Amino acid sequence: MFVMHQVRRMACAMTAGAMLLVGAPALAQDKDPNPGAMTVTASFDFLNQYMFRGIRQNSTGIAMWPAVDLGIATYSGKGGLKSLGVNLGTWNSLHTGDTGSDGASGKLWYESDFYASLGFGFGGGTSFTATYTSYTSPNGSYSTVKEIMFKLGVDDSGHLGKAAVKPYVIVARELSAELDGLTNGQADAGLNAGTYMEIGGAPGYSGKKASVAIPIKAGFSLGDYYELAGVDNKFGFFSIAAIGTVPLGGTTNFGAWNIHGGVEYQRLGTTTQAFNGGDKNQIIGSIGFGFTY
Amino acid sequence: MARSYRWRGGGTNAIATVVLAAVVSCVAPIPARAQGASADPNPGNLTLTAGIDYTNAYLFRGIPQDDTGVILWPYGDLGIALHRGDGAIKSASVSVGMWNSLHTGVAGLDGLGKLWYESDFYATFGLGLGKGTNVGVTYTAYNSPNNGFLPVKEISFKVAVDDSGLGRASVKPYAILARELEGQADGGAGEGTYLELGAAPGVITRPRLSLTVPVRLGLSVSDYYEGANGDERFGFVSVAGVVTVPLSSMPTRFGTWNVHGGVEFVRLGDRNEAILGARSKVIGSIGIGLSY
Repeated sequence: MFVMHQVRRMACAMTAGAMLLVGAPALAQDKDPNPGAMTVTASFDFLNQYMFRGIRQNSTGIAMWPAVDLGIATYSGKGGLKSLGVNLGTWNSLHTGDTGSDGASGKLWYESDFYASLGFGFGGGTSFTATYTSYTSPNGSYSTVKEIMFKLGVDDSGHLGKAAVKPYVIVARELSAELDGLTNGQADAGLNAGTYMEIGGAPGYSGKKASVAIPIKAGFSLGDYYELAGVDNKFGFFSIAAIGTVPLGGTTNFGAWNIHGGVEYQRLGTTTQAFNGGDKNQIIGSIGFGFTY
Repeated sequence: MARSYRWRGGGTNAIATVVLAAVVSCVAPIPARAQGASADPNPGNLTLTAGIDYTNAYLFRGIPQDDTGVILWPYGDLGIALHRGDGAIKSASVSVGMWNSLHTGVAGLDGLGKLWYESDFYATFGLGLGKGTNVGVTYTAYNSPNNGFLPVKEISFKVAVDDSGLGRASVKPYAILARELEGQADGGAGEGTYLELGAAPGVITRPRLSLTVPVRLGLSVSDYYEGANGDERFGFVSVAGVVTVPLSSMPTRFGTWNVHGGVEFVRLGDRNEAILGARSKVIGSIGIGLSY
């Protein structure tokens, strides 16, 4: 049986969702300490459970997620292409339980990811992003996974206002299957590099003092992403969450800070259920703080 | 017997320190000059410094790591200015960052099958005192993603004096005292304590070009350069010339970028010479840097 290795991203999604909701309203209220083309976003979250696209990563202890992102607004215009941005960042997962400091390695640092994104903004709130991610495990819990991901999203808040659902679709392809004696460079530790699809939306309400988002998503295998005993199961997971974000004051010379927390429910498919010790359901709680500068 | 590259690394090695210091010191004045022109894209309290350098050899405090293939050092630092005042404490700051070393040679792709030889995380708390005196304490975790060396955790203290008030006679002296908390740079029997004495005089400081000549001396206070004959006091002495050329005279929306390069001559102690197989090494580097 393979370990519940592999990676995150729901993490990123939750944090990013929180960031997006927090940032905008509060930021506009105060003098911007950073009017240039670069934006730093960082966060630190605590969770009871780490599930990467429905695949369980730890059975005991807690997970901590320090993350930092540098966004570079390389272009903005009024033509067909409204904006062009580059993002570089690192996302990490530190575990106290069986896949971290209490595990065989005795080391906390379970996961360290590096990613680079190129994002295009078009009219009507439509955006297209290509992301390359290298998922590594400093404590050797799994072998490195390299992935290219494409995301198409629509920010429909301009048309629908508070009824906006901000739908998106993601297709990700594992690029390599490294063999280093641990696993084989795949999220499912299967026989072949897989292709993943996620469909989701993030409706929410944003007020002056707080915001709430209700991210909904479903993850599927387009090919070999949720392999189990030689069978690729199409359905990976369905998730619904509620994330509250409270800005910590306005924007200062140190940026805009917030505290956020949420609860997520996941319904798992056949493969992910097996990885979850046979349990079809998973509840995840998280709390953390973040800032945008 | 450990392979040559296993004598682990550590964040800022010889030329990395030289270049980083040069980048920061050379880049920093530019935004200040431009402030009057209200061109600073980032007047807040956070400063991002980043870059990537290419070098032909990596010696960490004189300890040979690799001199084969291509060696790249991508790094990033986020500085937070916590306090500025006119009292005894002129400034207080925190910085966190990462420093990495990627190798295609024996310490990387060719030897271990993986590029990422070293990844360091550090956090520094610094205080600016009167007369240009600065003190700082830094915690560093040195890790090797490709298992080229075992992790090392270290705490270091630095005292530096910015005597730029002396004009061309300024030498900007500093002293670093570092103590290994876990793991060892020399792969020896016990955690060591390291002392570095140095200076970074600026020979030429012009808006379009700067030349600094950093000089460094690395010593073992205890168990830092353990070899066949026990702990050797002298680790290395180095002198370098580092040129930095800003890519614009004013900060842009993307910060201030520069190209920098340098040559460093390193003279090693017996223990490090035995590993390298030579008494001295000439290290060249070139890179790009960003301050935002």
